[in-house]
Amino acid sequence: MATQIVMDHTGDTRHYFDAKDSQALAKAEERFKKLTGRGFTAAVRTAPGEVSQIRSFDPTAEETLFFPQLVGG
Amino acid sequence: MFWFRRWRVDRSRLQVLRGLSRIFSSENSREARGLRLLRSWLTPEQCAQFDAKRYFEVIGCDSGRRYRIRYGTMSNVLEIDDAGCPKVGWCFVPVGSLVAGDIMLAQKIALETNESGALAVANAFLPKNSPSNTCVPY
Repeated sequence: MATQIVMDHTGDTRHYFDAKDSQALAKAEERFKKLTGRGFTAAVRTAPGEVSQIRSFDPTAEETLFFPQLVGG
Repeated sequence: MFWFRRWRVDRSRLQVLRGLSRIFSSENSREARGLRLLRSWLTPEQCAQFDAKRYFEVIGCDSGRRYRIRYGTMSNVLEIDDAGCPKVGWCFVPVGSLVAGDIMLAQKIALETNESGALAVANAFLPKNSPSNTCVPY
């Protein structure tokens, strides 16, 4: 089961989907586009603790993390 | 006598249930969830450092400079010089009301994958003297 983790005021919200299900995959891709369009950064783990940013939907990613746009504090 | 014994058993059960409820709610608080998420995305070294010192260090992907990310929600990123001393502080956070664990994780990912982008929006500040701002030679 693949997961999209979205940071929010509750800590995070998780969206689980079956990457083999084309409908679920399309929905996940739509969510990806919606979030990144709103300024969220998407990141995936490449090794334990190693991360990389992704700019387009990766259907093979087991876990994708989204965090809101960064601003100066 | 029987009622007294039963009352004591019921009371101790109630205490156990209350204790479990306290543990459950504290482990499922937004802060605890944020810290769990952070820990699951740290390297084993960063995780050990965070558990021991309440901060962890990351290497900026563009400059190779070292940053110390302390537990907190603002003014918690310090750039570390070659001697292990805080040189300058950087303040940048994700928008919205996020918990410390989430903010620290966003800062780690930003510095490790888009350092120049993160620093472009960050405000610099002079680090104050505090226990977590001390020099830690390599």
